Amino acid sequence: MNLLEITDLQVHFPVWRGRFGGGKDVVKAVDGVSLTVNANETLAVVGESGCGKSTMGNAVLGLAPVTAGRISFEGRDLSTLTPSERRRVWREIQVVFQDPVSALNPRRTIKKSIAEPLVIHDYPKAQIGARVDELMALVGLNPDQRDRRPGALSGGQRQRVVIARALALNPKLVICDEPVSALDVSIQSQILNLLMRLQRELGLSYLFIAHDLSVVRHIADRVAVMYLGIVVEEGPATEIFANPVHPYTEALLSAIPVPDPTLRGKRKRIILQGDLPSPLHPPKGCPFVTRCPVAEETCKDERPQLVETSPGHHIRCPVRVNQ
Amino acid sequence: MTLLSVTDLAIDAGPLSLVDGVTLEVAQGEIVALVGESGSGKSLTALSIMGLLGDGLAVTRGSIEFDSTDLTQLSQQDLRALRGEELAMIFQEPVSSLNPLVLVGEQVAESLITHGHATPAEAFFQAIEMLRRVGIPQPERRAAQLPTELSGGMCQRVMIAAALISKPRLLIADEPTTALDVTIQAQILALMAELAADLGTAILLITHDMGVVAELADRVCVMYGGRVVEQGPVGPIFAEPRHPYTRMLLQTIPRMDEPPKEELFAIKGNVPSPRDWPTGCRFRTRCDRPTEACVNRPEVIGDIHSVACFHPDGSQP
Repeated sequence: MNLLEITDLQVHFPVWRGRFGGGKDVVKAVDGVSLTVNANETLAVVGESGCGKSTMGNAVLGLAPVTAGRISFEGRDLSTLTPSERRRVWREIQVVFQDPVSALNPRRTIKKSIAEPLVIHDYPKAQIGARVDELMALVGLNPDQRDRRPGALSGGQRQRVVIARALALNPKLVICDEPVSALDVSIQSQILNLLMRLQRELGLSYLFIAHDLSVVRHIADRVAVMYLGIVVEEGPATEIFANPVHPYTEALLSAIPVPDPTLRGKRKRIILQGDLPSPLHPPKGCPFVTRCPVAEETCKDERPQLVETSPGHHIRCPVRVNQ
Repeated sequence: MTLLSVTDLAIDAGPLSLVDGVTLEVAQGEIVALVGESGSGKSLTALSIMGLLGDGLAVTRGSIEFDSTDLTQLSQQDLRALRGEELAMIFQEPVSSLNPLVLVGEQVAESLITHGHATPAEAFFQAIEMLRRVGIPQPERRAAQLPTELSGGMCQRVMIAAALISKPRLLIADEPTTALDVTIQAQILALMAELAADLGTAILLITHDMGVVAELADRVCVMYGGRVVEQGPVGPIFAEPRHPYTRMLLQTIPRMDEPPKEELFAIKGNVPSPRDWPTGCRFRTRCDRPTEACVNRPEVIGDIHSVACFHPDGSQP
């Protein structure tokens, strides 16, 4: 069974034009996204800033308003649950944000930060201390550091604290929103290894939101590529990286700088022209049409449909599908 | 010909040593990458070249020779005359580096006017030409807009235009693409390489991204703990790194040809803060093969490809 199922999710935000009743525009941050995360699986959602990947994660966490569509967790539609039932479901869904510095209260000890979800969800008081030590050991921290404050820890150690806190209630799904982007390069692989080990040991599922494709390729089972609020390509990670079909995925992959100077100038690179269109006024047809190297006249008017090109591999580009 | 020559540079914050004995050279028209993690001293080294060290920070040793003038001996007034004219710098956050209340065109034109090379009207005209050169569509319209009306990638192009309008001989670029999306990063890197070649500008590129280094740099200078640990042409640095830190840094990058889901190579420990630097070789606590010798400070050995290590890779059987 699917652990998390997102069906035709829309998250729209009103934006007021001017200050005095100029009417309002709507930013369609997420505009019809359907995705599933299976048990013990990592689904990576990639895309550039403004594509809606974080908003989608926030909607699952109840941190962004759902305009339309459905989010189901273990087969239960979150919108039909009572507040107390929903609170219980959210114990199963935890989050790790990008910046461990702002994710931790600087005046609180490590122990207090990790214990917070336990306290909120009525964990037996007498067992909290032991559980915090257990969690610290699990993420590779020395439990002797429990009474220190975040300021005394390095960036990598702080991210371990954030991960320990996310795991306190034994969640089934952890939403990782750019969990290593704020860390030094020599620390990133430590944290990625930790996340992969925890998944093996605890059977976790990850919704992994990231922009760094070399990281995603390593950690993900499936990948969804987003552009201006919609998924343009989705499929098994090995497929996407070996045979990207959508022109945007292709451009994204070819834009990654490769750490090999002997390939300089020899690699086929697609450098996209221009910037992301304003999400206030996205193109009417395919959102990628303004920067697409293979766009045709019809792409301007028709919103492309998601088409399965090989088992489990979907793309939203009629030009490429017809080839 | 050598344009910039930094020799044995040390920067202290009171009793704390932050940069300790950095020596590096940039030749005319060359792109040199300064690579390191947070606290390695790479940005401080760059700021000291520009004479922009903050309060409480001071150059306590060494020299910074630019075109045979020691910048550390210049008065603030003489430095001002060089900045924006011969030396220019762009920063990581284009949006916060531009003045939100001044028109884009005026900010690009500023250095021409300040240095008395053009009247404001001429300078504005030249600014529009420069904006066109850095690939901004409709430069006439954009020049009359405020930075807030432009995207992040566009703002970085404006920064580059402002930095290059007076055709400086050295451009210092501090993480110029870190805050940008990957497709925009590709555009900006291509633009910097093209302009540097056209104008003959040398670039000191500060970055932590080995991918960016491989795409752009002629030579690489790797810093760790306030010191240069390895320096050399980009080819040998990637193919035959000699310092364990450089080698391990390259090994940590998830490679596209590796099987996924397997454990990644990781450097043990944490990036130490300057207060916790060990004596002797500062990498020895994280190194995979330290010896007793490493409690002493390693000398820099080698010439074109130099390394500061008692047991560099490739030296033993």
